[in-house]
Amino acid sequence: MSTAVGTQEQIESYLSRLRAGLRGLNERDAQDIMEELRSHITDKMAMSGAVTPAGIDAVLGGLGSPEELARQYVTDEVLARTQASRSPLQIIKNTFRWASLSFAGLFVVLGSLMGYAVGLLLLLWAVLKPLHPRTAGLWVARNSTGDISISVHVWAGRVVPGSRDVLRKPCMNQWTGRLQN
Amino acid sequence: MKGRNADIHENGDKWEIQLRKGGLELAILAALWDGKLYGLEILRRLEQGSDLVVSEGTVYPLLSRLKNLELVVSEWVESDGGHPRKYYALTPAGRERVREMSVMWSRFSSSMSKLLAPVARSK
Repeated sequence: MSTAVGTQEQIESYLSRLRAGLRGLNERDAQDIMEELRSHITDKMAMSGAVTPAGIDAVLGGLGSPEELARQYVTDEVLARTQASRSPLQIIKNTFRWASLSFAGLFVVLGSLMGYAVGLLLLLWAVLKPLHPRTAGLWVARNSTGDISISVHVWAGRVVPGSRDVLRKPCMNQWTGRLQN
Repeated sequence: MKGRNADIHENGDKWEIQLRKGGLELAILAALWDGKLYGLEILRRLEQGSDLVVSEGTVYPLLSRLKNLELVVSEWVESDGGHPRKYYALTPAGRERVREMSVMWSRFSSSMSKLLAPVARSK
């Protein structure tokens, strides 16, 4: 009797570890996968006859570790959804999930976050430059020793005298000059 | 320090794993050609009909992927054993895909055999 309880616990513990790994999927898919594997385990046990802890170990061992099994389900699913979606929010969410699963995903997340940050900064500049030509932009200065210093301003900050305003076009001089007078 | 031979063997094993992985998708779809089967039946068919060593932990997630690609559909059917089983069947798109893959596979394997003929003769 104690054996039967023990084996049931083995199975439940395996399935709950699997369930934890499947949390990236939607509820219905996760439930479906759980039922399918429960059915597989039941059939395998019926085939092997004797219900012993060692027998259960062999059945569960055949499926591999629950974490690895869940990872295979989730990675496929997440990638498929990311490819199908164009919403940046969904892509960020999914790549974060991917990053938590693999090293390659981590680099993709870092790369895309940097991309989004640069994009945002450029957008901000585009709006602020015409309004605050002297406090928004990118300045490059060359000092006496020949070093180049680059300074980035969005709203406030003092520009190094003599530095070149990279984002200002010659044609803007007249225009911004008029704005300020 | 690992010897050069050990490296060659390790790469060979990796190659074999990739090769099996690539073939497994076709093997599963082909197993469903004659009608619907549930997971364990697919596994048994793959093991009996070939000497493919198939891990259960690979087949179930792959079935779920094939379902997402709409190459197969699944339905729950009550069994004599008293618990339901999840049966898989090819969709028309899946059937079409097996045909295509099988042509590609034959073409690939016959060109490979031609290329490998000198190696086989020298053995």
